[in-house]
Parts: sequence; C-alpha cells; structure tokens
Amino acid sequence: MATLSADQERLAISRLFHRYGFGPKQGEFEKALKSGFEATKKNFLTKPTTAQISADLAPITIDDLGPRPTPGTFANTEYAIKIRSQIKEMTLWWLDQMVTTDYSLNEKLTWFWHGHWATSVEKLNFALPMYKQNLTFRNQALGNFSALSKAMYNDGALQFWLDGQENTAKAPNENLSREFMELFTLGVGRYTEEDVKALARVFTGMQVQRTNGITTFNPRRHDNSAVTLLGTTQVFSAEQAIDQLVGRDDSSRFIYERLWYRFISSTEDMPINLKRDAFAGRDIYAAVSDLVGSQYMYSPQLAMVKSPVEWFVALCRALNITPSTTKNANAILGSLQKLSQLPFAPPNVGGWPAGELWLTSASAQFRLTLSQAILKNTDLADLKRVAPGQRVKYLQDLLGVYQWSKRTSEALNVARNEPERLMLLAINSPEYVVGA
Amino acid sequence: MDTLSRRRFLALSGGAGVAAAANILSVTDIAEAAITRPLPSGTPILVVITLYGGNDGLNTVVPYTDSLYYSLRPDISYAADKVLPLDSYLALNPAMTGIKNLWDKKKVAIIRGVGYPNSDHSHFSSMAIWQSAERTQTTKSGWLGRWVETQPEDPLLAINLGSVLPPLLVGKKRSGSVLPLGGLITPTGSLARDCSRLSLPSQGESALAARAATSLRNLLNISESVSPVLKAPAPAATDLPTVNGGNAGGDNNLSQQLDVVAKLVSAGAPTRVWAVSLGGFDTHANEANAQSELIGIVSNSVTRFLSQLEPSGRSKDVTVLIYSEFGRRVAANASAGTDHGTSGPVFVIGDRVQGGFYGEQPSLSNLYKGDLAVTTDFRDIYASLLEGVLKTPAGQILNGWKGRITSLLRT
Repeated sequence: MATLSADQERLAISRLFHRYGFGPKQGEFEKALKSGFEATKKNFLTKPTTAQISADLAPITIDDLGPRPTPGTFANTEYAIKIRSQIKEMTLWWLDQMVTTDYSLNEKLTWFWHGHWATSVEKLNFALPMYKQNLTFRNQALGNFSALSKAMYNDGALQFWLDGQENTAKAPNENLSREFMELFTLGVGRYTEEDVKALARVFTGMQVQRTNGITTFNPRRHDNSAVTLLGTTQVFSAEQAIDQLVGRDDSSRFIYERLWYRFISSTEDMPINLKRDAFAGRDIYAAVSDLVGSQYMYSPQLAMVKSPVEWFVALCRALNITPSTTKNANAILGSLQKLSQLPFAPPNVGGWPAGELWLTSASAQFRLTLSQAILKNTDLADLKRVAPGQRVKYLQDLLGVYQWSKRTSEALNVARNEPERLMLLAINSPEYVVGA
Repeated sequence: MDTLSRRRFLALSGGAGVAAAANILSVTDIAEAAITRPLPSGTPILVVITLYGGNDGLNTVVPYTDSLYYSLRPDISYAADKVLPLDSYLALNPAMTGIKNLWDKKKVAIIRGVGYPNSDHSHFSSMAIWQSAERTQTTKSGWLGRWVETQPEDPLLAINLGSVLPPLLVGKKRSGSVLPLGGLITPTGSLARDCSRLSLPSQGESALAARAATSLRNLLNISESVSPVLKAPAPAATDLPTVNGGNAGGDNNLSQQLDVVAKLVSAGAPTRVWAVSLGGFDTHANEANAQSELIGIVSNSVTRFLSQLEPSGRSKDVTVLIYSEFGRRVAANASAGTDHGTSGPVFVIGDRVQGGFYGEQPSLSNLYKGDLAVTTDFRDIYASLLEGVLKTPAGQILNGWKGRITSLLRT
C-alpha cells in the first residue's frame, strides 16, 4: 500500500472502526492513531477461533417453550408473556454483545449476514430459532460462503420464515428457492423462472419445529426427480444445488456487490472491473481482508450513513454503556423500533435499507430523543476532566470522527462548558451520523 | 389478528423480496409540501381503511328480518329493534350511527357479498390477495403500489399512516411512503438553537452529511412554517353525532390516524392516496361487544374525519374505502365467536359516491361449506375506484380485469 498522508491515515482508521466494527471503545482510536493504520489493521483483522467466539459471548439461556397451552388458560397467558420476554432479552443480549465484543470484525460480519439472510422473529414468533441462527452467523461470519449457504439452508428459522416447511413434492412453494437465488446467492436477473421452479423441487421435504428451529428431512415429501438448474440436468441434493449456485461467477459478483453496498458505499456503484480474486475459494475472510486493504479505505467521496443500530452501538461503545443494564432498556428498544431497526426484526427478507433513508427529519428527532434519555443516566466523568478548551478535539478522537466541519466545531464550541449538552450535539452531528 | 399479528403480516407480506424500500416521511415533509405545492382544489383523493383480522360482515350489515340469522347465531345476533334499518331486510350494527347518518344523506355505497374466488381462510393469504389484487402468492406488489408507478415520481403521492409500509402500497420499483405517528415533538429553546447551528450547510461536506444537516433543519422548521398546520386544533367538526350520550371522540388509534390525515388534507398536502388501518377484528371468541365496539370506532372515526374536512372544502374530494380480508363464518362457534369466513360487505363513502346497495346479498339458506357465497369480485371495486377516483385506466394495474361496479360514483 502507498504511504498515506496523516489525513488519509486518520480517514482509514475511522472507516476501519466504524464500518468493519461498531466504532472505537474509549481510547482505542487515539491508540490506533499512534500505532498507525497498518498495525491497527493487522490487529483488527484477527480472526477469532470458534472457542474464542464462544468465550466472547455474554451468557444467555433461551429455553424451548414447547407446545402452546390451551387457548384461554392461565398457562397460555404465561406462555405468551414468556415469548415476548425471551425476544426482548435476546435483542438486548445482542446489543450488549455488539457493545462489549473484543472481536469487532466478526461481530460486524454477524450483523451483515443477519441483514443478508434477513429473517424476522416477527414471523417466527419464537426466540430460540433466531438465537440458533445468530450463533451460526457468528461461527461462520468470516468462514466459507458455500458452507454458510448450506448451514442457512438447514437453518430452522430461515426455513420457517420462507415457508420451507410448506414446500412439498405435491405442492411446491417457491418462496425459499426464489430468495435463495435472488437475495442470498446470485442476485436478481441472474437465473430464470424455470430455475426457481427447479430449485424449489430440489428443496422439497424440509420440516421445522417452530419453537426450537430443529429441522428434519422428510423423504416422503421430497421430489427426487432430475431437474435442470442453471443449465445442468441431474438429480440434485440440496447441497449439490447450493454448490451449483455459489460456484458461479455471478455469486462472487453478488457477494462483492453486497459487501460494497454495506461497507464501502450505498450510493456509488461498485466498479464493474473490481478484482474479486480473493473470493475465488469463497473465503469470506479473504474477501473482507482484501477490501480492508484497498484504496477504498481512504479514497474520498465514499461517505456512509450509520444505520440506527450502528449509530446507537457506536455511542454505547464510546461511552461504555451496556444496553441491558441501563435504566433505559425499554426506551432503547422503543426508540430503535421507531427508527425502524430492531435486531432480529428486519422489515422484510431484503433486509434493512441503507443510506439516506435513515436521514429523515423523523429519524433525526428519534435520535435526539434517545440520546437525551441515555445521557440523563450516563456519567460523563471522563469528559468533565478534560479542560473545556480541549473537549471538542477530545470528542473527535473519542468518537473516532474523521474531521469536524467548521460548522460543527463552532456549534460544539458554544456548548463546551456543558458536557451533557456537548455530548448530545456531538453524537447527533452530521459527521457522526454520517461517516466520512 | 391482534396488533402484533398485524405487524407480523406487514413484516412478512410487505417483505418477500420488495425491491423498492419505503420512504419514511415526517409530518414536516408533508406539511412543507402542502404549503409549497398544494394539491389543486377539486383533485379527487382516496382514503383506504383496512380492517385487519376479518370483520364480521353479518354483524356489520345485519339481515335483521331473516330468521336464519337468529337461528344460526343465537348468542351473537342483534335484536331487530336495536339495529339501524337500511331497508326491510338489512340494517347497520347499532354502533354505526355515524355511517347511518351518511347513508341517509346518500353518501354511502354498501357493496354486498364481496370476496375473491376460491376463498382461502388464512389471514395472511387473504390479506395478501386483497392488497395485491392478485390470486397468486408470488405477486410482490400492491394494487395501489402499481398505481403509484403509473404516476410521475413523488414520495408524497401515496402515504400510509404508521411506520410499516403495507403491501397495498408496495410497487415493483417505486412504493408509497410511510408517516410514523407520534413524531411531532420538536426541539425547543436552547436545544433548538444548538440544532440550528449544527444544521447549517458546510462547504465541501458529502451529500449525505449535507442531507443529515438538512434533516435537522427541517425538524426545526416545524416550529416556523409548519406550525400553522400542526399546532392548529383539528378542523372544527360541527355536525358530529353522539354515541350513548357521549361524544364520538378520537381516543383510539384509527381516529388519531384520520385526525392527522384530516389536517394534512385540509392543508393541501399533494397526496392522492392515504392508507390507514384498524386491527383486532379476529373475533373468534366473545364477539358481540368487541366487534360492535370496533365497528363503532370505524363509523365514528370516518364520520368525524369527513366532517373535519368540510371547512376546507376538501370533503367533496375525498372518497373512503373500507374493507377487511374476509367476513366470518355464518354460524357462531362454541366460544360465542365466529371463525374465518369468506365474503363480506365493503363500504365506499363520500360526496362523490352514489349512495345505496350494490351487489347481491349472499343467501343464508344457500351456504357453501358453512360460508357465504361471493357475489361480487373485489377487483370490480378497485377498478371502479382507480378509474372513477384516481382517473387511471384500471386494466394495466389489475391485469386486464374487466368487472366494474356500475354507477358507483357520481360523474
């Protein structure tokens, strides 16, 4: 990599923390500036082992609730309450995890895959299958895309979400097969309607236990005839069919497009000739490392909007706030819902939008309200210890902001003697909501 | 279908592969547009009210002189002296005094026996069919979303109240927008001054950062340009009916939604389709009070809404459509409720409507597997509204559908 100017270094480090992680914890950004981008990158790209991933996890127990009691009974009411509380607990658990993790890159890719194989607890209704799916993302976030695709095919939450259990030899349901090609592996227009029908037949026979996400294959519901899928005619197993999809160059292009859209720019198109050699073996870690090492870390004009969860988690990391233990847990979930982004509940199978859709006046207001509620219960002792004249600069490093604009510096300087007000403005500033 | 399952329905069926994401609007966005580019007076407006859960049609428009009605649902029928007669066979639910008033003024069309062929008793499938106006599950657009796509691009053209876009307004490439409720608190005092400093344009910043600054600025503008619209009391509604001696007031979510719509329509919002909804109609048990209360809310909210529009003169431009995904089973079940059924009545209300009955009333003596017959296809109504209200050829939106409700609207 070319030698970077100090500004480019700072931009690259800021993008590294905010895009490939959930923002710097207190002191991390300053430390990174001292060690430089190359050393910080090397450290950041550490790929955790399965054991490290599970040791990093906050503990949570989600029981299988089993069959629903008779409607109208007390037990049924209790059951319904348990469903809601499990979902709430699990949502806060993940937010906590994003805030506390030592493996930012793995966590960010877990979040990326949740938006990619977007499954919502709103249809599942039970937390346990969603939790299991999250563990799968977590363990394979930086693994092999072909293996991840097969794991997702066997995932109870995804199967139920896309009516896989309705897909039988007698009555094929194309929901899963269509999305598998359109949204998960190839991208729209890179297959035909006949391919959708063929893949649906290959995928027949899965059954799901809704409360725990356990899937079983029922051969009597399976259509075992030969089909023509993307030009090849044979009897396919689901795994063979997935290999057929993921092995195509279109699949590499599609995954790069999605990575580009979420990590580099949601407004600029991916260059058509972008090198994709790193993904030849479908190694996700190699593809992501490749992007982290590219010029797109410091080339101008690739601003990215933080989604509501990214914005919220970043400020929690900087201020050392653990969402589940604050007095604001309900306000946090309520605000994220108003901001239209609750983990485990994407709006549809296409995942959350990106870019300026998060920049409406309504979002601005919800961000202000949520930050006011949080700051009321947050001790800003560290900020208070900084001399007022240094505070604006201090916040720039604490929050990992590339540069304050003249406008924002002036606005912050007016508030520098009041730490709470100053922090409120900094985290709602255009430079924090939108990363340079 | 309670509120929760309504959200699940929206999450699910809005979902399956929607290409176009919804714009999330603030009231500011709409109110600003109402001031800068108001809808020309006299432009017809469609307001769609979706009743989630399957409203019981037979206890909405009651066959009060049919002995079968009383014998099939002994515990959940309305006595003939309690209902509000429309003719010698049909009457409105006692809670629907507001709509009865409008009926007497010839502003209410009741289309009877409305449904779709080969009824499906699933909330999800039925609602998906009603909102997409397609029988196949693979359709990923709504009938009004497809209408949006026939029009010049404008995020304010079709708006849903509430934060989730219903499939109704989803297009293939472009969709309607959503307006979350309860977002009217704006910064004041020193916070407003702080935000105003933060929202100034800054040279050389990215388009997205500039957009973030603008969103803060727009938030503040509410207190300036927009407060006349928002802070003003709801338009006066002098002829509101009273229910049980109380007023027909707006303390439920549907009337809140319609209050916001009334303000924005009165102010001249350039919006031609509004979508609002009420859930809770899935009355499998202990139905009588619950359904009556809900349909009463609908009746009062709509009456109040049309009345609020009168001072601005927009009431003559507005046509209201009220539908649910299916009616309910004719016979009551063992829990004093009803299970999922088939056809039901649809209401079309407004100054432009030719009041009266349309479609054939399904017979209680000629049921199919315990369900009412479908005598009118729902697409007939959509086609008539697309052409009569939105002035758009229905064929391209409804896949060449030929049926119409003749003379539903005044010309």
